[in-house]
Amino acid sequence: MKALLKSNQAREILRIFTAVFVALLIGFIVTLFVSEDPIQAYRAFLLGPVSRFNRFGDWIEESLTLMLLGLAIALVFKAQIFSLGAEGQMAMGALASGVIALWVPLPIGLRIPLALVGGALAGFLLGIIPGYLKAYLNANEIVSTLMLNTIALKIYEYLLTYYIKSPNAGYTASDTFPTEGILPTFVPNLSFLQGIRTMFVNQTNLTVMIYLVITSVIVVYYLMYRTPFGYELRIIGSNIKFAGYGGMNTKKAIMLATAVSGIFAGLAGTHLSMAIHTKLIINITAGLGFEGIVVALLARNNPLWIPLSALGYGYLRAGADVMERSSDVSREMVLVIQAIIILLVTAERIFPEVRRRIQARRANNTVEPTSQPGS
Amino acid sequence: MDITIVLRSIFSAVFLASVIRISTPLILPALGGLVSELAGATNIALEGMMLSGALAGVLVSAYTGSVWLGVLAGMLAGFAIAMVLAYFHLVLRTDAILAGVAINIMCSGGTIFLLYVLTGDKGNSASLVSGAVPNVTIPLIKDIPFIGTVLSGHNILTYLAFILAAVVSLFLYRTRFGAHLRAVGENPVAASSVGINVLRTRFVAFAISGVLAGLGGINLSMAYLTLFQRDMTAGRGFIALAAVFLGGRKPLGTLLAAVFFGFADALSNQLGSLKIPPQLVQTIPYFATIIALVVYNIKRQAEVAARARRFQEKHLAETAAAKAQS
Repeated sequence: MKALLKSNQAREILRIFTAVFVALLIGFIVTLFVSEDPIQAYRAFLLGPVSRFNRFGDWIEESLTLMLLGLAIALVFKAQIFSLGAEGQMAMGALASGVIALWVPLPIGLRIPLALVGGALAGFLLGIIPGYLKAYLNANEIVSTLMLNTIALKIYEYLLTYYIKSPNAGYTASDTFPTEGILPTFVPNLSFLQGIRTMFVNQTNLTVMIYLVITSVIVVYYLMYRTPFGYELRIIGSNIKFAGYGGMNTKKAIMLATAVSGIFAGLAGTHLSMAIHTKLIINITAGLGFEGIVVALLARNNPLWIPLSALGYGYLRAGADVMERSSDVSREMVLVIQAIIILLVTAERIFPEVRRRIQARRANNTVEPTSQPGS
Repeated sequence: MDITIVLRSIFSAVFLASVIRISTPLILPALGGLVSELAGATNIALEGMMLSGALAGVLVSAYTGSVWLGVLAGMLAGFAIAMVLAYFHLVLRTDAILAGVAINIMCSGGTIFLLYVLTGDKGNSASLVSGAVPNVTIPLIKDIPFIGTVLSGHNILTYLAFILAAVVSLFLYRTRFGAHLRAVGENPVAASSVGINVLRTRFVAFAISGVLAGLGGINLSMAYLTLFQRDMTAGRGFIALAAVFLGGRKPLGTLLAAVFFGFADALSNQLGSLKIPPQLVQTIPYFATIIALVVYNIKRQAEVAARARRFQEKHLAETAAAKAQS
């Protein structure tokens, strides 16, 4: 059994790497056609994020946001709840943290924890809604979360434009947060670390969020695999009817799943406002919520794999930025590569089909008939 | 005083005409979303299909000089994207939602990429001279004072959208294939057991969905505006999907819901000039959709319960009758 599990996992990893490789290859072929200097463009794309220290920082920052989003998505997708609400929850998280960071007159030691709690709470509260609607009123969570996303983004835009934006600013953004409202750098303020600390502070926005993200990964893993709630989630994901027959309160678990997922999406928003931008800007989420889906997907909804998939995915995004700045290929090509990766990784039939044929040939049998496609 | 201005502007002919105009790029993809929804697959890639249609239309009309070839290309682009989605979802068993997300990402990135390669501009296609689908004035009707302004002088695609709403309705409820399509969406196993080809039916549903979404994109880039802008759909594909649910998954309902969304959009433009925050007005249709979704499901649950009760009663009566006989 264990050996089988191992080999399954190995196949899964092989499959993801194959998908990434094929997608990168397609990207390269496209680059050959459109670029004056395709080799240089692709080198910038593939090596860009590690070519300079500040670019390395950009990559890690981006990945931290993606990790939180990936955790948020994994929690609900594990239970086969297709909540796409991370985008809106992230906006509300950014907003709540931002408002606290800007205006609550507390010293840094209290203001930042409060802002973090605020961001998490905002995500939690917005997350309850689609879960409740699905569990008790049987409302399709895809539609309800898409609607809530737009509502949240409009409310964010409204509050920013009418109340938060400083009146004399020419563009729609808040003031830069005061130092008490910006997450401090992750290197502790010790005398022998001073050199490293200055380097990180000057070139990157890497903050204490790193520790929070690592903790989050462990918490979500523990929640998913070591608690009754996590057990319920996984059972609901594999067979909701069975979960019901087994006497589980599936409704409560579903509601809790979307709400807890919201916590991490909210914190991702906090990271955007209090570390990356250090102010509230219009369209702060910029579609990242949907990218979180990809991160969770590549990690197969396993929390322990999420840091890796977020780093990998963040690398593609960071590389795309470098490529755009240092070559004639636009960063949008990478979106196409990302899409191909998603399609290849999620296409359940591609690899099993190949494997089945090989096995069938080996066993010297005829190929068994494929089953009818279901819903 | 403000309220009278608002009311006067809402009931002005020009405003109502703008509602119809703004609704068109929602009606077309919403009809597409309805068809695939009824066949049992929520199509969240409408957005991507619209974008590809919009760009294909602009490019082909710019390079061939023919508006109608552009329209055809837009429909074909929507169709092609829909076939990619259908192949991955139906044959390779990719989850419809994830495949839809992927297609949207691909189309958003791909259209900008292609635009940049061809024009050197990532923002819009202003450097290309692309065609515009003409407007039509309806004889007779255009001379009626109020109604003439509201109904006449719209784009051909606007009239087409309303005609297609009727056509889709007839197709779904008055043709054999439409009945099959709905059966497949309702219960694929049962449909398959009576000899309906589930796979083929769903492929066709996706194809129709793609063509309609492509037309919606064409409407944006060759009628509403006459150029392509990056991400010019601005969430209309998702709004169209919402219209399907707000409309209770029925053709007329979907049409009305799409017009309602258009109305809210037009209203928020109007109110913006009166210093009423447009963002808040724009949220109204989304709240309405959530409410409609809930109401629809409560009604549906009640229906199912009633059907089960009727069945049980009938069953009890039959067993009682059988007992009485023996």
